[in-house]
Amino acid sequence: MSAHSHLDGQLPHEPERATLEGRNKVLGFWLFLGGETVLFGTLFSAFLALRDQVGDGNPSGQELFKLMTVAIATVILLTSSLTSVFAIQAMHRNQVKAMQGWLILTVLLGLAFLGLEIYEFYEYVHEGHKFSTSAFSSSFYTLVGFHGAHVLFGIVWISLLIAQVARKGLNVVTAPKVYVAGMYWHFIDVVWVFIFTVVYLMGKVA
Amino acid sequence: MAANHTTHSEEPAKRHKHEGPRKHVVAYIFSMLLTLVAFATVMGGEINASFTYILLLVMAALQVVIQMGFWMHMKDRGHLFPIIGILTGVFVVFTIVIMAEYWTWW
Repeated sequence: MSAHSHLDGQLPHEPERATLEGRNKVLGFWLFLGGETVLFGTLFSAFLALRDQVGDGNPSGQELFKLMTVAIATVILLTSSLTSVFAIQAMHRNQVKAMQGWLILTVLLGLAFLGLEIYEFYEYVHEGHKFSTSAFSSSFYTLVGFHGAHVLFGIVWISLLIAQVARKGLNVVTAPKVYVAGMYWHFIDVVWVFIFTVVYLMGKVA
Repeated sequence: MAANHTTHSEEPAKRHKHEGPRKHVVAYIFSMLLTLVAFATVMGGEINASFTYILLLVMAALQVVIQMGFWMHMKDRGHLFPIIGILTGVFVVFTIVIMAEYWTWW
């Protein structure tokens, strides 16, 4: 439908790969994601090794976790991954307004996820599950909190990109940035898949 | 690498077909279903624990393949290095997890 738009328009197909710098940025970002995989891997291994070390009288994961909250958070984050895909697709069609709209929706969903997580942590602390309560609580907050910090970073990053595209427009310099931010957001979603599986669901079964 | 791919300058003649949203919506629905099965298994209760563990890990692995394949474009051409990189990372992670578990408790 919009096949004509970039024949006469300015932007090439897949503007994120139009320049060598853009392609290098995408490849470099994959290397960064490899490092992130190892980072979260170490946090997961620490959690798996320590998750039964609850100590006397402290709440265990089985008692604490409320799966309904986790399920809602999961649906929100999965949906935000889909909206960020739609943003990249809009970018490929050179529809800047639509892209911005999907990015804003992604940020809003990210904020909703973060709000739920803060509420959840707040509840846990009230039930006596503080950072220094037990080896289990320390490794839990480190792992899940690190993921939450990544979500927060992604929200700030994508918000700044929305502002930059609004000022400078979509071109071969800004397009790779948006693309890479989309990859980051998917990665955060993939990490969450493992968190809800390993931390919450397996913690509930144990 | 070896194949002589057509350069970008030739392609506009063929008119790019933009991929529609359908594939991604299907990936999303599959992700949701896998999530639903995982949560339902645990919330539903009394199934043997080790079976539940295996089921949960399979659901998570499937979901990651779907999301990285479709949403991070890893199934597309020219993603050999990202695939090698991620698989290396996964290998390192498995080693770390097994090491931490065994050296701490056995």
